[in-house]
Amino acid sequence: MRTFRRALAVAVGTLSIGLAATACAPSNPDSGSGDGGGSADRITIGTTADVLNYNPLVGNSRTDTWVTNLMYPRLMGMGMDGVRTPYLATKWEYTNGGRTARVTLRDDFTWSDGQKVTAEDVAFTIDAVAKEKIGVVAGLISSYEKSTVISPTEIEFQLSQPDGTFLENVGFWMPVVPKHVFGTVGSVQKFANDSNWVSAGPYRLTTVERGQRYVLERVENFPLVPGGPKTKEVVFRVFPDVNTEALALRNGDIDLIANALPPPLAKTLESDSRIKLVSVPSLGWAHMQYNTKRKPLDRLEVRQALAAAVDYEAIRRVALQGKAVSSNSSVLTPTLKQWQDPTAKEYVHDPAKAKQLLTDAGFSDANGDGLFDGLSLRMIYDQADPNISKWAQLVRDSSKEAGIEIKLEGLERNTYVEKYTARDYDIYAGSWAIMENPPANLALAFKCGGFINYAQVCDPELDRLIDEARAQLDQASQKAPIQQAAKIISEKVYDNVLYVETFTIAHSAKWSNFVVQPSELLSIINPVSLAQATAD
Amino acid sequence: MTEILEKGTTPAALPPSESVGRQTWQAFRRNPLGLASAAVLLLLGLVALAAPLIADYPSGYGEDVLASPSGAHWFGTDDLGRDVFAQVVWGTRVSIVVGLAASLLAIVIGVLVGVLAAYFRPADLVLGIIVDVSLSLPVLPLMILVAALAGPSVPTLVVVIALFSWPEVARVVRSQGLAVVPMPYVAAAHVVGGSHLWVIRKHVLPGVAPVVAVSVVLTTSRAVLSEAGLSFLGLGDPNSWSWGTILHQAQRSGSLATAWWTTLFPSLAILLLVVATTLLAVAYNDARNPRTR
Repeated sequence: MRTFRRALAVAVGTLSIGLAATACAPSNPDSGSGDGGGSADRITIGTTADVLNYNPLVGNSRTDTWVTNLMYPRLMGMGMDGVRTPYLATKWEYTNGGRTARVTLRDDFTWSDGQKVTAEDVAFTIDAVAKEKIGVVAGLISSYEKSTVISPTEIEFQLSQPDGTFLENVGFWMPVVPKHVFGTVGSVQKFANDSNWVSAGPYRLTTVERGQRYVLERVENFPLVPGGPKTKEVVFRVFPDVNTEALALRNGDIDLIANALPPPLAKTLESDSRIKLVSVPSLGWAHMQYNTKRKPLDRLEVRQALAAAVDYEAIRRVALQGKAVSSNSSVLTPTLKQWQDPTAKEYVHDPAKAKQLLTDAGFSDANGDGLFDGLSLRMIYDQADPNISKWAQLVRDSSKEAGIEIKLEGLERNTYVEKYTARDYDIYAGSWAIMENPPANLALAFKCGGFINYAQVCDPELDRLIDEARAQLDQASQKAPIQQAAKIISEKVYDNVLYVETFTIAHSAKWSNFVVQPSELLSIINPVSLAQATAD
Repeated sequence: MTEILEKGTTPAALPPSESVGRQTWQAFRRNPLGLASAAVLLLLGLVALAAPLIADYPSGYGEDVLASPSGAHWFGTDDLGRDVFAQVVWGTRVSIVVGLAASLLAIVIGVLVGVLAAYFRPADLVLGIIVDVSLSLPVLPLMILVAALAGPSVPTLVVVIALFSWPEVARVVRSQGLAVVPMPYVAAAHVVGGSHLWVIRKHVLPGVAPVVAVSVVLTTSRAVLSEAGLSFLGLGDPNSWSWGTILHQAQRSGSLATAWWTTLFPSLAILLLVVATTLLAVAYNDARNPRTR
């Protein structure tokens, strides 16, 4: 019997170690040091990842962007509807029939080592991006040829062809880096920029404790906020997941959660009077794309059947808890009001129609298992994405009712990236973070061979319309061809847009005066917002 | 010749199995914890087999999202309004199937390696090194890596877990085998001209059988834990329910801190199975060993 008790103790002990490991209780590295939230001199922000890359031209994870956005200025900011607003640039225009673009800069921005931010820095940055083909910006400025510095506050870009998307793309997407630092390192793309930062944003990075926290101090003379940033210090603290971030916010350990909250979690925080929730519209959309290079997805009827097998309303109501709006199955989402097409209509959820379409297309269910024979499709998604992995299950279950078998492949992030880069899937489920400039974005996502053309679409008519829009220099003339292109995308089911999410960001009720900008990347932790926020 | 040998040697070489069996059973019967564990395992087995009779397969969605336990939903509902009780019932099936299949695969490899190492002394050194190296590998990170690369599915989980579980079986079987191989009856079998395969099959394998029986039970419980761990980390099969998958979905939905029922019940199921298997294995071992009987 003694052996028995010992065994019982061992069994329970082993199990409790296992459970303790999975519970992932976060240690509080700051307890006792007075680094918690609530102090007016410091705003503490929770994030779920470390900064992977301090080079703003290369880093593209959310935490990278949140931190480097506070350090490096861009030419333009963004308003709620995706329209550009002045930042480092005060004025921009196309000249010479769209073959040149001219930008005027502010003269009161200074790098943290005392040097002025000038047009030379802008010219250096864009040349480095174009020459070394750095990141997504390089894909967005394909028409760029060279730049001429007219004066310290004026720069002119020469373009290979009239391109009405150039200024907005370079203005919002390209952070400006100091020439006197980045120009001395050889390859800009390979430059880690992980110490002695020279920056020109409202805050400068001073302390890094990997896996724990990132401390940024205010720049007193930041010109965009009169009197300089209101809060002395911004601290990013790293948490294992959003559950623990929410607990920390409730306990007052942090003041703000940078990550958008999963809808069920947002619901539970609604009733807490110490917490305020902010709704932030998405500039992108969540969608499924069918690989048109694979049989039988190359057939329109099959794609139409798949679109009819999805219960769009249930996805928004149940999986997203109502924190999403319909985009009427169009890539011109309601956030971008100036582009939206009022005639767009959402695909109707109709399993009977889906079955009929497939029967007409020659599919049958010979073995009587309720599923069409030879129609089993693999759908890949990032299993770490809380919303997609939820609605993927709804799509699978509702498609089954229409006789279509969808096998889910929720993949670990790296495997997922590898698979979608190789276009190794039948159905791709994902979401775009920022698609605010349709002429530029549709070119990347739907033109033959486009960088993010996940449906592998190659439609000459679509290519023609997108090119036509890009050649126009103002939004009014771009609108008609873009709306036509969006119509083709919807009719031919090149992209099944499910919804546009309304992100929920939570912060402590002690803080106010945030400036909301669209998308999870900007939300209320954009540079201007954090510089203006104040605590009671 | 072989026929004569079989007739002549088998009864004499092996201990009288029937009486050992009966003695073991009588000792086992007197152990209430062992009996209770067996009953729990039997119950879990029944739930796995009769899942379709107990609850509908959890699919689609329900309007009552994250409802706490009630008469309508005994274990509450998850973030898509699906019944957690149904998930735990159907999860029993996958968890036990993965556990058993992985454990059987690990046992087959482990017994093969263990017996070969004990029987063929020159092979012992090489196999010993392989087992030692395998035992010193960081198992969890490697499992995560392999499962992530191979993609999530039930067969992947079975193979991954088995691949990292066999060395322990091999080590236990080898040490028992080393005690059996030098026995006079094994030597006698060689003297009368028995082939290696025949000697292993008739004398060595029955000699190591008791430790294999204990290993099966323990490896199964470890495999269930591994499956739950991998699924919790998101490397489970999204097309089927297992206890780890339920935990994973609760964690991902952000409802971990508020909807306790989404994690408590699958955790309890894991606890029950692991404790029951451990206790059963110990009870069997104690009952079979004359010194602890």
